[in-house]
Amino acid sequence: MSKRKTRHLVLAAVVVAALLVLTLSAGCANKQAAGPGSEKPRKGGNLTIGVDRETDTFDLYQMTWSAGQAYVYDTLVTRDWNYKYAPGLAESWESSPDGKTWTFHLKKGVKWHDGTPFTSQDVKKHFEVMLDPKTAAANVLDYTWIKSMETPDDQTIVFKLASPFPNLLFKLCQSYGAIQSPAAYAKYGPNGTKEYGTKIAVGTGPMKLKEWIPGDRIVLERNPEYNWGAPWLSNRGPFYLNTLTYRVIPDSATRVAELETGNVQVLLDVPVEHYDRVSKMPNVQVIKQPAFGLGYLAFGTANKPFNDPRVREAINLAIDREALAKSVFFNLVQPAYGYLPPGLAESYEDKNAMRYDVEAAKKLLAQAGYPKGFKTTLATQNRTEHVRAAQAIQQMLEAIGVKADIVQYDEAGYKSFLKSGKQQLFMRQYSWDNADILQWFLESRQAPYPGHSLWKDKKTDELIAAAEGATTPELRTQKYIELEKYLIEQAVWAPLWYPMSIQAVRTDLVGGYRPYPGGGDVFNDVWLKKDIK
Amino acid sequence: MRTYLIRRILLMIPVVLGVTVVVFLIIHLAPGDPVLLLVGERAPQEVYDRVKHAWGLDRPLLTQYLTFLGNILRGNFGMSIQMRRPVAELLARAIPVTLELGFSAMALAVVMGVVAGVISAVRSGSVADQATMVGALLGVSVPGFWLGQLLIVLFAIKLQWVPVSGYGGIRFLILPALAMGFADAAVTARTTRSTMLDVIKQDFVRTARAKGLSERVVIYKHALRNAMLPVVTLIGLDLGYLLGGTVVMEEVFSRPGMGRLMIQAILSRDYPVVQGCLLILAVSVALCNLLADIAYVFLDPRIRLQ
Repeated sequence: MSKRKTRHLVLAAVVVAALLVLTLSAGCANKQAAGPGSEKPRKGGNLTIGVDRETDTFDLYQMTWSAGQAYVYDTLVTRDWNYKYAPGLAESWESSPDGKTWTFHLKKGVKWHDGTPFTSQDVKKHFEVMLDPKTAAANVLDYTWIKSMETPDDQTIVFKLASPFPNLLFKLCQSYGAIQSPAAYAKYGPNGTKEYGTKIAVGTGPMKLKEWIPGDRIVLERNPEYNWGAPWLSNRGPFYLNTLTYRVIPDSATRVAELETGNVQVLLDVPVEHYDRVSKMPNVQVIKQPAFGLGYLAFGTANKPFNDPRVREAINLAIDREALAKSVFFNLVQPAYGYLPPGLAESYEDKNAMRYDVEAAKKLLAQAGYPKGFKTTLATQNRTEHVRAAQAIQQMLEAIGVKADIVQYDEAGYKSFLKSGKQQLFMRQYSWDNADILQWFLESRQAPYPGHSLWKDKKTDELIAAAEGATTPELRTQKYIELEKYLIEQAVWAPLWYPMSIQAVRTDLVGGYRPYPGGGDVFNDVWLKKDIK
Repeated sequence: MRTYLIRRILLMIPVVLGVTVVVFLIIHLAPGDPVLLLVGERAPQEVYDRVKHAWGLDRPLLTQYLTFLGNILRGNFGMSIQMRRPVAELLARAIPVTLELGFSAMALAVVMGVVAGVISAVRSGSVADQATMVGALLGVSVPGFWLGQLLIVLFAIKLQWVPVSGYGGIRFLILPALAMGFADAAVTARTTRSTMLDVIKQDFVRTARAKGLSERVVIYKHALRNAMLPVVTLIGLDLGYLLGGTVVMEEVFSRPGMGRLMIQAILSRDYPVVQGCLLILAVSVALCNLLADIAYVFLDPRIRLQ
């Protein structure tokens, strides 16, 4: 007994020491990313990541949920550890002064998984297929800025735009904006054997799709040819790992138990309710950082009484965001006072406009003609935290006389409900790392879906158009901040919380894992300290 | 016998057909739209329309139903909307995973239940009897998912005898089979005990004892055989329950079986998969009922088929 205790103490001491070293070395901001100590990366083995749901497909045209695509496919542009744009398949790029011509110079010697060389014609063909209405690509709207493409040589691709588009680099970084083999797509896609995306995926990435057992696991295996990794990676060559497995474990308690036994070495999304248990585990490093996203209470702004900005503002003032973050999320989120997460340059907060002030809220409601409040519905998807947040808000709103009945939906039912346009109050959360999310949800033409707020407003449209068509990123940022000020004034939403990303890594088994901004993952530099059965 | 069988099999057709109609209507009338989930939030209306058309979901419900029926008759289960694979392929993968768990849970339940039931009947009133019945009460009352988590903590985390979750061999089967079989074992134990108590008091048991047979032969050869009839009926009825139980256990122990497949399909309104799963279930339940009826004839010659 006592022996075991001492062992735990020693372990704890080692972990503390390791964490200290880690924080110190992170503080020095050095470029060596090998992780704690000076251990050498070891080759081989299989690393297993526990996930609650698997991706829908490896066909980039149809994909709506990514898990693993980033390793099978490469993007033209990447983002480094500081989230700055950096070379990917494109070594360098330049844009014309009018912002309508973008030229990308591709790396030499890049090969597809099937061994054929990767060229600019592939890039051109890839985007042509995506933009073809017959493909019915889910993310086509993100690439409609492409007016035409030219390929002066195998290593150069030129995008011609109808109007300037400062957000272009962002779009080329997306996992669904990576390049998949047009030849393989033609052969195995919808017009071929129909196996593309589930059994076959051909990219240029450091990993290949080896096996996919639906509902159980996706196994990726090392691409030995790979040597064109992004310059900010310590390991630009093939993975150290032989295989990388995404295991689907829907039950969160089971997922955490698998981490505890070491069968799963990494969790990319530790559920809030298990945070305490995971942070107390020996040999587990918990990485907590702001995620790019926002949880908010939205209004059906076309429906009474939420068409009155005073009502929306009153509800904004009736919510105690600090209390919400504490009671519902155990402070594992940040209270939100703006429409965009703080990590973005475009983020703008107004704590006064969203202060907790029940008296002022009551006054506003009286002015709007509801001195005694009103009855309404508060819709939410049946996600545990959202339901609990809805219950907390229900209580807060009662203080100003607003009686909201909570209505729960499953994911599919919720989407249809929002599309119906009958929503009053409803809970939403987005996960997105770009200001264009505001365009997505609030531009007039997006109503009623995905513009669930039913917000149709000329000034909003003008500001969005000015931002998205700006000639420089700086001007775009400025326009978006202007838009946010206006949205806050109109109280279009009631922002509630900024989510956090909580990852957990077994430090006794995994080396070289480094936190990536927003809770993303990079396994190129990761290795296993020993083989796991 | 032959005419009886043919009639029963023919009778299955309207039953299964009725099930397909009900299933089809329920899943299609439930709020929610598979296409919205499929194309994601970032797809424009044109993409939505095109995808909806491609899946034939813009056609009248009756046409869709008849197409589905026609395909089934030709042995074509269709394609999964969300998983983009043939439904038959998904089912072929999932069914063995579920059967494996269902049957081992049932085997465990029968062995544990019958042994415990016999012991507590023979030693009725003893400490062993009372302990068994308390255990049985617990078994019936404890929810499976919770028991599953307890077993994980004890046997997978603390003792590390078995893996936490997954599938692929007997090591992965032990915990879910235990968690699932426990409640069933409890019911079996209680039934076995009460029928055993009845049987033991009957004349033929006294006769057997009077003949000078050993107690073991009396209990296991004479008494237990006769006590098994209601237990067998119970086991037959439990098949449906076991399939339901796998839904929970496959979630807790992340086994990619029919239960998981069905839940996933229902949540994503993956109509072809839901229809395929329920069709298989309906047919197998109907078949099991038939088998049970036939089994009675062999077990109890007094039952006659007309």
